Amino acid sequence: MVDLSSSFETECEIIDRDHRRLVEMVNAIVAAIDGDHATECATRVPKFVKFAKQHFVREEAFLADIGYPETQKHHDHHRALDGKMATILGLAAKAADNQLAREALKKDLVFFLMDDVINADLDFKPFIKVRKT
Amino acid sequence: MKGLHIHGVSHAYGNNKVLNNVSLTIPTGELVCLLGPSGCGKSTLLRLAAGLETLQCGTIVIDDQTVATKESSLAPEHRHIGLMFQDYALFPHLDIVANVCFGLIGMARDKARARALEMLDQVGMADYAKVYPHTLSGGQQQRIALARALAPEPKLLLLDEPFSGLDTNMRQMIREDTLNVLKQNGVATLMVTHDPEEAMFMADRIKILGRHGRVRQSGSPHDIYYKPNDEFVAGLFGLMNRLGGVVRDGAVETPLGRVGAGGIADGTAVQVLIRPEGIVLSGGNTGSNPGIPVSVSSTHLLGHSSIVSVSPDGNSGDEYFARVHREFSPELEDTIFASIEASDTFVFPLKEDTASAAPIGMAAE
Repeated sequence: MVDLSSSFETECEIIDRDHRRLVEMVNAIVAAIDGDHATECATRVPKFVKFAKQHFVREEAFLADIGYPETQKHHDHHRALDGKMATILGLAAKAADNQLAREALKKDLVFFLMDDVINADLDFKPFIKVRKT
Repeated sequence: MKGLHIHGVSHAYGNNKVLNNVSLTIPTGELVCLLGPSGCGKSTLLRLAAGLETLQCGTIVIDDQTVATKESSLAPEHRHIGLMFQDYALFPHLDIVANVCFGLIGMARDKARARALEMLDQVGMADYAKVYPHTLSGGQQQRIALARALAPEPKLLLLDEPFSGLDTNMRQMIREDTLNVLKQNGVATLMVTHDPEEAMFMADRIKILGRHGRVRQSGSPHDIYYKPNDEFVAGLFGLMNRLGGVVRDGAVETPLGRVGAGGIADGTAVQVLIRPEGIVLSGGNTGSNPGIPVSVSSTHLLGHSSIVSVSPDGNSGDEYFARVHREFSPELEDTIFASIEASDTFVFPLKEDTASAAPIGMAAE
């Protein structure tokens, strides 16, 4: 199970709230797989991907609004995650019948969330901090 | 999150920037490989995580405890890290069980010995407890080094090219055994290697580091191999055929056939990279995709496969390399047929610095 420790906080409440929701969704998917309810992946994972995409849109609008100079770069980073989200959706479609797909899905989800999404969002934390002061 | 969390690490030796804003996370029980050519900064990142170098920029967190920032640093011995290097670094004057006990500081002697024997059992070396390192093979010494690194139950294990001192057969066996032991112990592991196959075998996630320590791509072994971000990443996995072209009607015409451009705009100058296994050779002109007639100019048996060099008929100046099963052995100057396998073919917009960024491996143009 993933927990969102303080080192992953951007200190921007609207972003951190989205991150907490994404963590809850991933934990629910992992719990479903571990609890022998992998059939739920077919509905839970697309909802996770949909929410992640909505988060990207909200975040990019927020960054543009506060004048973050690397907004375009962050937008490009989000677009570059399309392939990984497609892979995750593909694994979810196979999860009910395939043990290897379930294991790969759990790993890919956690790395996608913690490394590609949340850790990458810490890039704008210093800018937000300076702006707050 | 339990495990390793690195964010925004940059590092330079004088004017030589070796790491450029590198971030990564490794949850407990997972293994991440840093893969890249020599000098890309991967060992530097390992030493920074271990506390063997002073952090210049960024943060390093282990099991929710910040162990290094620009302003503060926890001493290496307080980070609860296990380290394993290429040369094993066993103490020659201590027997094997004493070597494994060495890191169990503060533990009662009986308990330490019991723990050391438990670890030796896990790595299949319990029968060697009383022997000295010089009597062991490289593979056996590597197992001892792994037992010693894991005995104190570290929060993080750092492996720096741990198998590069072993011969090919021993390396395959030891890395499989090592992976089993690591999974059994559920420790977060960061491993450095320049061997793509090793990274593919060991890693849950691979981070590709390029020149000046910039992360070129992060992903599962499957993603890195089948969806490389650029020519540098694609080229890391060995020999690659390179062809130039321009996108027309969503595809690129090459001497070996038409290749989909993957959404790159018409009119864009591109390079097409084809793995040798992506050029499919056949003796007969059959099926709906007949292939292009090519002549064989050389063959090289590599063991389980062969590399066959071919040129399109009427265009002997161009030479391409195909990987085939060893039993497929066409005669020199025979005409056979070549077609392209899409999953081993990559199209990237041509960049001005493409030549200087050329990856490992031969290139045909």
